[in-house]
Amino acid sequence: MKIVRPAKAGTMESNDIYIMVYPNENGNEIQLDSIVLKQFGNQIKKVIMDTLNELEVENALVVAKDRGALDYTIKARVETAIKRACE
Amino acid sequence: MEIIETKELDKVENFLKDFDLSLEKDVDITLIAVEDGRIIGTCSASGNIIKDFAVSSEYQNEGVASKLLTQIQNRLFDKGVYETFIFTKPQNRHIFEGLGYRFVEGSEDVILLEGGLANVEKYVKNMFIKSGLSSNEKACLVMNCNPFTLGHRFLIETASKENEEVVVFVVEENKSLFPFDVRLKLVKEGVKDLKNVRVMPGGKYIISSATFPSYFLRKEDVRLKAYTRLDAKIFGRYIAKEFNIKRRYVGEEPYCKVTKAYNSALLEILPSFGVEVKVVERLKVDGVKISASFVRNLIKQGKIYETKKFLPSTTYEFLISSDAKDIIEKIKRSDSPH
Repeated sequence: MKIVRPAKAGTMESNDIYIMVYPNENGNEIQLDSIVLKQFGNQIKKVIMDTLNELEVENALVVAKDRGALDYTIKARVETAIKRACE
Repeated sequence: MEIIETKELDKVENFLKDFDLSLEKDVDITLIAVEDGRIIGTCSASGNIIKDFAVSSEYQNEGVASKLLTQIQNRLFDKGVYETFIFTKPQNRHIFEGLGYRFVEGSEDVILLEGGLANVEKYVKNMFIKSGLSSNEKACLVMNCNPFTLGHRFLIETASKENEEVVVFVVEENKSLFPFDVRLKLVKEGVKDLKNVRVMPGGKYIISSATFPSYFLRKEDVRLKAYTRLDAKIFGRYIAKEFNIKRRYVGEEPYCKVTKAYNSALLEILPSFGVEVKVVERLKVDGVKISASFVRNLIKQGKIYETKKFLPSTTYEFLISSDAKDIIEKIKRSDSPH
């Protein structure tokens, strides 16, 4: 899928994640801020990257503001944002 | 609890009184959190600045702030505002960091945080890469040039003689009587012969009035000091570092209170980032210390011909060209100091 416009999904509320997706010139890129960055930063990035790969996205800048979301939530939010950014 | 947009600003104003805040005139959107018909929290946005944020003490730590912030970000996002900024007191830093905002810089009175796509490090890195400049040590000037005078020219020339490489950042914020593209063009043309000088746009993190922290600092002088110090720190930490700037030249300021305060903030702060600040005495012509405001004043009085001796020929030729007509009309009608 090709990102054609900025899109967002999620909330800044506790146990959720706010995902913003933008078209990117140099491949996929993730900018993550998280209240549990030290503990789970790499895991969150992996979930986001896996989701991008699954959807065959190759030009996304994903800005993620995490407030302790579980992997399933992260995956769902990323998928929604990507689909909104591609329609 | 529900979050709604409101136009009843006097009610919000009343609510904010308890927090020693007042709603600013320039807000575009104001949201309130309502429970049982009562306001329990609010926040507003003006352009890309989120401001006047408050939640009743009895509802704090219950997720009201995160709901307000989500809603206001969604609305800004839908309007195409992808970068947001928050000015707040240093003691609130952890609250906004917990909500995904990043600390940019700050002093004891005010801190700046950024969210969304905004990313100062990345932005400044891109600015540097796009400039194509080398990583050698440089001197730098930040100027508004409203318009470019012989005084500006003299300052840049001084820096050009005393340094191998010089960068001139022209303030990009479009709040001056001469529009940004004209100011930039006139500086570029006016220093074309100085081969070691590069003129470029100042971008979003150098003297941008969009990032003026005005709402929670009461006194004008405290506010001014906080603003100038914040700008100086951002310059030292991000711009000087990325561009390898070791010296910054400023013109001595005999007239303007704001510029004077800015100069003293630079003198105080930049050395701690390894940047030397050189204050250069102003160029005099016929006993007059040249300043852009002096030139604008002559224009305002219709004495365009008299500006000639204070301006490089490139600026003067622009002034008497038909392209300058609208700007001159605007200056004549305006009471703006800038």
